[in-house]
Amino acid sequence: MRIAGLVLIVGGWLLAVGGLFITPSNIGRGLIACLGIAISLMGNLGVLNKYYLARAIWKK
Amino acid sequence: MKSRQTRCRAFLSLLGVMGMLGLAILAIPLKAEEAKPATAVAAAPAPVPLTDKDLSGLAGPKSEDIAAKGDPGAELTGTISDVAVGDAKKGLTLADVVNQVGQNKVAINFVWTLITGFLVMFMQAGFALVETGLCRAKNANHTMMMNFMVYGFGLFAYWVCGFALQMGGSAPVANLGGAYPLNGEFTKTLFGKPWGLFGTRGFFLSGATYDVGVMVLFLFQMVFMDTAATIVTGGCAERWKYSAFAVSTIPLAAVVYPLFGNWAWGGGWLSQLGVNFGLGHGYCDFAGSGVVHAVGGITALAVAMQLGPRIGKYNRDGTPNVIPGHDLAFVLLGCFILAFGWFGFNPGSTLGASGNGALRIGSIAVNTMLAGCTGSFGALFYMWIRYGKPDASMAGNGLLAGLVAITAPSGFVNSMGAVIIGWVAGIVVCLAVEFFDRVPKIDDPVGAISVHGVNGLWGVLSVGLFADGRSNYGGSWNGVPGSVKGVFYGDPGQLVAQLIGIATLVGAIFSLSFIFNWIVDVVVGQRAGAKAELAGLDLPEMGALCYPDFVLKAGEYGAAGASTVSEPAFAKR
Repeated sequence: MRIAGLVLIVGGWLLAVGGLFITPSNIGRGLIACLGIAISLMGNLGVLNKYYLARAIWKK
Repeated sequence: MKSRQTRCRAFLSLLGVMGMLGLAILAIPLKAEEAKPATAVAAAPAPVPLTDKDLSGLAGPKSEDIAAKGDPGAELTGTISDVAVGDAKKGLTLADVVNQVGQNKVAINFVWTLITGFLVMFMQAGFALVETGLCRAKNANHTMMMNFMVYGFGLFAYWVCGFALQMGGSAPVANLGGAYPLNGEFTKTLFGKPWGLFGTRGFFLSGATYDVGVMVLFLFQMVFMDTAATIVTGGCAERWKYSAFAVSTIPLAAVVYPLFGNWAWGGGWLSQLGVNFGLGHGYCDFAGSGVVHAVGGITALAVAMQLGPRIGKYNRDGTPNVIPGHDLAFVLLGCFILAFGWFGFNPGSTLGASGNGALRIGSIAVNTMLAGCTGSFGALFYMWIRYGKPDASMAGNGLLAGLVAITAPSGFVNSMGAVIIGWVAGIVVCLAVEFFDRVPKIDDPVGAISVHGVNGLWGVLSVGLFADGRSNYGGSWNGVPGSVKGVFYGDPGQLVAQLIGIATLVGAIFSLSFIFNWIVDVVVGQRAGAKAELAGLDLPEMGALCYPDFVLKAGEYGAAGASTVSEPAFAKR
């Protein structure tokens, strides 16, 4: 699960940077960058955090 | 009744007359100014080139006069006699005078950069007070000692390799006399574009980097790195094993921070987004909302996630409890010290007070104080309206949030932009604290992730919105001619560059921090034991109480007196 989270986080970043080569338009690049940020956030606050929440001390 | 009405009318009429008179008085100089005829500019006399001959007749005050009478009026000190002469036989030459002018400029910039660096160093004291004040008394020694030693651990790691990776390939800094030895950037060409990845000169400050300009740059950059490192200690306070903290600081200071620092400030790929992809002036971060604060806040997020919440922060049903700090006076005093230090952080980032637009320091300082002020307003009013009381710790966090947010745009925006950026930051920090508490349930005792992480990102974004295109630091920024403009002033490309920077912080920097700290967790173990946490980390981890003469009272969540707090079942892990 931690690896999956990290893959999502890095994937989001690579998508944002890759957008520079996908389209020359500022709007297109901006939208791709936003999508990349959203994917990265989903990876760390969603997937990765879920792994640690499941093992949280207050749940034991 | 009638007489009262009459008196009222008379009073209003008097006010009206006074107002008219006031307006008339104000209008007179305006009108006079408007009425001024356009006078022709007197033709300036043609410049006459100076020669060494012109200087030969000049003489300074006699040293015997000064020796006999002193110089109480400061008329005899700092004259032609004080200009260094290259060749005593030739006497004073034009070259000597010009050299002195150049040295004066660099000297002003050295002193400015060093003093502002010292101010930033003093921010460590502010962080120590804020973080310790927001923690419980039983953890005060532990929290204070993390803030104290992060300076030493961070400095050492940065000297060994952090500075070289960050600034080893930066362009010469004209304000500091060039700093030319920093000329090695490891660059890879991908898809036909050069990508600067890290610097290669300046390890141990040895070789050619044993240079006066490089030393000044090192000191200034080092205290910035230490600010990022000390943010993490706040987010992870009250449950972080001290040995894990010590080890965890090293990769942050040696690798993670320097890498992003290089990409943004050291001539790396983010700064070249303008040159290579036509995105405004590339990623712009004047004083480090992203480089310093977001890196610190995001690392705090990665570690706090791995550590998990403190015992007692959440109930079994997942609802959060408030764990109040032990000293609000520490917190607010610390906030003031930080606000003072920020005058080093932002205006100091011109790396000089003379040349290349450095006189903008006045505007940068005013932007800094305005955003801090409106940040505290925003947070104070949000808390007052939502919870019915003007919360002191959140007002302090609002001040810091405003200062964090203005750090990146401080050199590029006007005062109206600064006011808006600060105000938004003050509200955002309150929303972010509530969000992290309730949704992902990430325990952050001092609000470091919200103040520095979230508002660091807001600061980065705000450059792409509010930069007004009026700054001029030597005619170009990041190799792109002209001044930085946000989308509200006509350059949407700048906003895209800032978004790429945010994606890099949230994606690459988070991942790096997470992986390094995962390794620390496996090797050292990140979290202190439950018994130690309940007892307070001062004795089990540090061997000494911060307040040995005080009898600490047990609170609902084990606020102080460990021995009197009943141990929950999950504490025996």
